[in-house]
Amino acid sequence: MLRALLNAEKPVILEGEKIVGTRTISRIPSIFTEAEWAEIRKTHTLHERGTVSNISPDYEGILRDGLGGRKSQVLERAKDPTLTEEQRLFLSAAVESIEAVQDFIQKYRVCARSAGLEDIASILDNIHSVGATTLREALQLLRMVHFALWESDCYHNTLGRFDQYIYPYYRADKAAGRITDQEAFDLIEEFFLTCNKDSDLYVGMQQGDNGQSIVLGGRNQKGEYLFNEVSRMCLKASYELNLIDPKINLRCDADTPLDVFIQGAHLTKRGLGFPQYDNDDVVIPGLEKLGYSPEDARNYVVAACWEFIIPKNGMEIVNIDALSFAGVVSDALEHLEEYASYEAFYAYVDNCIKAECERITQAHNNLYIVPAPFMSMLMGGTIEKARDISLGGNSNNYGVHGTGLSTAADSLAVIKKYYFEEKTLSLEELMDALHHNFKGHEALQEHLRNDAPKMGLDLEEPDSIGSALLKSFAEGLRGKRNERGGIWRAGTGTAMYYIFHAKDLPATPDGRYAGEVIPANFTPSMFLRQKGPVSVMRSFSKQKLEDAINGGPLTIELDESIFRNDESVEKLAMLIRSYIRMGGHQLQLNTLNRETLLDAKKHPEQHRDLIVRVWGWSGYFVELDECYQDHIIERIKYKI
Amino acid sequence: MTDGIVFSIEEFAINDGPGIRTTVFLKGCPLRCAWCHNPEGWSPLPEKMVKRGREETCGYRISSGELAERLGRDRDLFRDSGGGVTFTGGEPLMQSPFLCEVMDGLKDMHKAVETSGYAREDAFRSVMERADSLLFDIKLVDSALHRKYTGAGNELILRNLKTLIASGKPFVARIPLIPGVNDTRENMEATASLLQGAVGLQRVELLRYNRVAGAKYPMVGLSYRPPFDEEKEPAVYDAFTGLGMKLLVL
Repeated sequence: MLRALLNAEKPVILEGEKIVGTRTISRIPSIFTEAEWAEIRKTHTLHERGTVSNISPDYEGILRDGLGGRKSQVLERAKDPTLTEEQRLFLSAAVESIEAVQDFIQKYRVCARSAGLEDIASILDNIHSVGATTLREALQLLRMVHFALWESDCYHNTLGRFDQYIYPYYRADKAAGRITDQEAFDLIEEFFLTCNKDSDLYVGMQQGDNGQSIVLGGRNQKGEYLFNEVSRMCLKASYELNLIDPKINLRCDADTPLDVFIQGAHLTKRGLGFPQYDNDDVVIPGLEKLGYSPEDARNYVVAACWEFIIPKNGMEIVNIDALSFAGVVSDALEHLEEYASYEAFYAYVDNCIKAECERITQAHNNLYIVPAPFMSMLMGGTIEKARDISLGGNSNNYGVHGTGLSTAADSLAVIKKYYFEEKTLSLEELMDALHHNFKGHEALQEHLRNDAPKMGLDLEEPDSIGSALLKSFAEGLRGKRNERGGIWRAGTGTAMYYIFHAKDLPATPDGRYAGEVIPANFTPSMFLRQKGPVSVMRSFSKQKLEDAINGGPLTIELDESIFRNDESVEKLAMLIRSYIRMGGHQLQLNTLNRETLLDAKKHPEQHRDLIVRVWGWSGYFVELDECYQDHIIERIKYKI
Repeated sequence: MTDGIVFSIEEFAINDGPGIRTTVFLKGCPLRCAWCHNPEGWSPLPEKMVKRGREETCGYRISSGELAERLGRDRDLFRDSGGGVTFTGGEPLMQSPFLCEVMDGLKDMHKAVETSGYAREDAFRSVMERADSLLFDIKLVDSALHRKYTGAGNELILRNLKTLIASGKPFVARIPLIPGVNDTRENMEATASLLQGAVGLQRVELLRYNRVAGAKYPMVGLSYRPPFDEEKEPAVYDAFTGLGMKLLVL
């Protein structure tokens, strides 16, 4: 299949290009016919599109070993006489896939040579079989491998710790006097461009949701902070290019130098919605608690949006389902009268969350994933086990998102304060208001929306209720195993579920109408009249997030007017660092101008290049479905 | 312990001094500047304000101890970033006994005060002594014009500015840039000569007139009729850098 597609690709080398490989086939045909898919669905469940996605391949290894090196490892393994027929088939498919990629490189080489582009041809020559030795070779091989992954119908193809696995090649070039910093920067910039050239062909839930994330920084086993010249160049390249890919994550911790945050804040100012900041101090212990080895935990990267995954070793499905916190609380309210105290009622809510966790963990069986021989060549354990990655990797954990956390916590805070404690809200009034969508209870609704306590105001409650909800969620999944032998991970992301879950959600005690939006990710209510970013950060760093570490950031929208000078960029950097020091786990910042968005909705043709962060990825605003456009406009109404 | 009237506390105020700062708005102002964008800060008492179609009370009573306690919660953040608290208004010196008590409760924190300088000299001194830096507004040097556009002459202000300069206390001079009112070469040069040689002067900030200044007037039952052309871009005349002063245009 991969061979057929790569054969069908026509080599295109654009003028001045140094790193080649551009997609020409606009649609990858499905490996199965509709009838075959229907047959599979009778006995199996599928996740999203059914192919391998959203994992982090071992680029470091393939750049080192080369395609030929990897092929030799497979051929060596195939000599084992005890292999089953199935294992043999897999290994031969793997060899076939590697050769297909090699032939594809060869085809580009011929094209380059006949066009008189000797430098490109010789680079392609060098990376045909052996690993990279120079920065340019490394980036070209990476491009070819990444290209082949897309072509093999894997999607949400992340790019992992780019600065770490690319750095040795940069350093070698520098040491040998082969390259200047400017030349290195130009190459990295060109690699970034290649991620955008054909990105409209890459699928996701929405245009732009293509998972091409990279992760910069972090610490090594010795505890040294790993922000190097390549990391710096990546931030600068992204700033200059002003394009949606790759989407940058910055790993940081309490001791990360302020200068790194400042460079990040400059990019934030660009309004691309990244970098996203990930806090090693919370994420690494959290992953270790889930059972990852210290080495793997320290090596974490970020999936398409915000989920923490392990390069090479993690065949996780990080977004297999979502728990609707607000939905659970809404259902539980129908039994409110049976409880005499808030504690007793919360114990019931806790039970309901755990029952929902039980239901979710029972709901995902007989998963079928389309085999991915080439991706298998980039993942750990597949050659040893002679088994396709689609059947499982070294870890096979499932992640579950949690939507509407603040809606649920704010609602429970209303019940606790006004119903149980102050007794200013009667059961009859509350239930009548909720059942009739606040019709006839407009004053109450106003009061609940505007004056009731909310997460984001740095109040004891509802912040502690938010913590309790997350704790119930984590406990509900803890100790459970999925059919692939992996565990279940609780998280604070929402993906597109924030749209789905809100639609069927009845009116809630925080004053929200039935069907009205809920916030995306780990974020305050849309009704919050903000005290300010400091209170929001305090509210959203109190929860014990290392116990719910699937991923899902606090998202704050900033008005672009705050970036009038470098001084304010530096202040933003300090604010970001403060969130990390408070123990926040993940932060996504979006710089927006509401008027621009409204105008872009009316006149899309004038705003083709307007970029916004949607839930865990950045895309072009005018390409989004209207519900996502409106959500973004709505959430900056009370911008900071 | 004294009570004061506060009408807003703004976190992460980026234009009110160094580092991460929280700015506290104290209610009440003796001046009526024609370009004022915070008319809800004029009256010293809580008042009705209609926001997004909803009537609210603007301003609330709070004791100095409670306010100091609340601001003190972000001590770590301020310390990490070289930031602190800024008091503004209204005119914060109208509540100087309250302000002094709050500042006494924040001894280990950087405190800045933004003032019009229109205050009794003893009040000015007592606040100045407690502050780590001042943001001192200088609107117009010509007293008659000052009276015309703010409702009061500037003698008191200029006297307090002298006191400030003589003290050596660090300060930022802030000049709102109002088109056709004070954005003249003459006024800028006169301002620069007042500031010349001030050892405490950190920089001069020119704050461009804010075209949404009038937005809040109807909310507190007032109408906004500026006696100058709002649409005109104010002139930026730099009489300062030539004299060795730092200039920032915001």
